[in-house]
Amino acid sequence: MALDIERKGADGACTLVVKGEVDLYSSPDLRAAITKAMPKFGGSVSVDLRGIPYMDSSGVATLVEGYRTAMERSTAFILLSPSQSVLKVLQLSRLDTVFTIRNDIL
Amino acid sequence: MVMEDDIRLEVATKPRLLGVVRAMVRSYLQSKGFSAETVDLAVLAVDEACANSIRHSYGSRTDCRMELRVRMTDTHVEFELNDDGVPLDPDRCARRELVPPELNALRPGGLGVQLMYRVFDEITFEPGGERGNRTLMRLQRPPSGQSARRAHDA
Repeated sequence: MALDIERKGADGACTLVVKGEVDLYSSPDLRAAITKAMPKFGGSVSVDLRGIPYMDSSGVATLVEGYRTAMERSTAFILLSPSQSVLKVLQLSRLDTVFTIRNDIL
Repeated sequence: MVMEDDIRLEVATKPRLLGVVRAMVRSYLQSKGFSAETVDLAVLAVDEACANSIRHSYGSRTDCRMELRVRMTDTHVEFELNDDGVPLDPDRCARRELVPPELNALRPGGLGVQLMYRVFDEITFEPGGERGNRTLMRLQRPPSGQSARRAHDA
């Protein structure tokens, strides 16, 4: 099933709201959206993960790629409100303490 | 004692079909009384095994086949994944500790295998001589009359 990715906010400080399962099939769509949203320098990219009921290691790898690119460009890379499923796979990967994670209250 | 397979699923190596495999595994484990948390973890780990086969055994070709067998023994549920692709590198399949921030763990095939180790009680990778791989994954079944609760170290 394809991901639903909505981009909110201005260039340089946008949020990607992602809905759907992130796996080997759909993670390229997330990778493309993060790459497109990434500023050349500075600013921020937030990825809203509350609407993701399932994520595998390809999704985690995609987030890590975003994190690495953001570090190279001095861009803030923030994971917003990860679902329990996403949080669990980040914990299993020992990466939950690497990412900046914020929990928003809608 | 050799147990008969409860399920034998042959599936094309198309990533979009992984969702079908996950749904099958989820339904099967739920029917066997595994806890919700264990079901989630096992679904993830079987998915990782299948994705590993697609990406690394078959080089992301979508016109190949892999076979997933599922059975219960007296003590465990067993998942056996067979493919006819390139034998996997044993180094890639070795267990490693993930120490944050070990982002290098995310090289192709790196993290998925480590997640499998974190979920299953036993994993055996058996690369074939010239072709093929057999991966056997075992998870302790819940005690009779109650759901299993696994204390993971995450």
